[in-house]
Amino acid sequence: MSTTFHVVGAGIVGRRIERLLHERVVAVHPPRQPDLARVRPGDTVLLAQAGEHAHTASQALEAGAHVVSVGDGPTDTRAQMGLGTLARERGVALVVGASLAPGLACLIARHLATPLASVDEIHVAVHGTAGPACAREHHAGLRGPAIGWHDESWVEYIGGSGRELCWFPEPIGARDCYRVAHSAPVVLQRAFPGVQRVSFRRSATRRDRLTARLPMLRPPHPEGGVGALRVEVRGAAPDGARVSAVAGIAELVGTATAATAVAFAERVTDLEPGLVLPGSTAVPTLDLLHAVEAHGVRLQTFTGIPVSVAS
Amino acid sequence: MKLLRRVLAVLAMAGIAAAGIRLGGSGGSPPQRGGWRPLDLPPGQ
Repeated sequence: MSTTFHVVGAGIVGRRIERLLHERVVAVHPPRQPDLARVRPGDTVLLAQAGEHAHTASQALEAGAHVVSVGDGPTDTRAQMGLGTLARERGVALVVGASLAPGLACLIARHLATPLASVDEIHVAVHGTAGPACAREHHAGLRGPAIGWHDESWVEYIGGSGRELCWFPEPIGARDCYRVAHSAPVVLQRAFPGVQRVSFRRSATRRDRLTARLPMLRPPHPEGGVGALRVEVRGAAPDGARVSAVAGIAELVGTATAATAVAFAERVTDLEPGLVLPGSTAVPTLDLLHAVEAHGVRLQTFTGIPVSVAS
Repeated sequence: MKLLRRVLAVLAMAGIAAAGIRLGGSGGSPPQRGGWRPLDLPPGQ
């Protein structure tokens, strides 16, 4: 049966998704008023527009379509998670956060966690933005409030706090990263039951932090340069040794986000109906990571981290 | 003359303190091995 892919949004990510799906039938909808009357049961709707996705996702689910959302706002993500029952009733999948983070970050975290006996901490950091809408969200995210999962409870931090020097794959290298309002901790905490600490940070400059509470002083670039993702998973190996595993990518953020969204969209009919969270055990993580690599995103791992040996 | 002796004494003490800190070290050199490598994924499920 042929499936029609509908892409909502024509920014950097939307256009790149359309390019990756070039062999399939693609209907592109304007971001503000998507024509969901054209959506038929069994179609797949990829939400790649700026702003909130929950309302459009609800309409697409009502029409019997699978939904893949690249949204990363914490409030919107929680609203989408509330649509899981509707998706299950309609017999379709609702993939929430199929972007660079939480999407690819969650897949990498699951891959790193697979050989471990238990996962205690997951720390994600991102450098760079995709298009202008993404840059505006980055700017607003520094205003916070940023959330983190700390010792099995949610903690609210001031946006732009918690500076940490994070080492990304080359050519990005070391960048100062700060807590921002983002949905990655929300998705990771649900996908990894039992995890004790989850954090998300974004790179920012002094100017970014100083001007975060002001309107953007100049229009953002049409597309950010090469971005990067760093995922660190800490836990216990089967022999009890403490382990810290790190992996990531260095790639254009829009390209990596589109590759992740398309990887999910191509396999959405194989997923269980209902809410699908990247990184959960119900998701074919390895297949998805292979698909992301097939779309040109090179996964990397960091070696050289000391690992304690059980005595 | 008295002022000059004091200045020299202060400089000598600062030198001795700096040498002590320099020789004592603070944690060794950072890791010299390792780095980012391509992630080898096992075959798909």
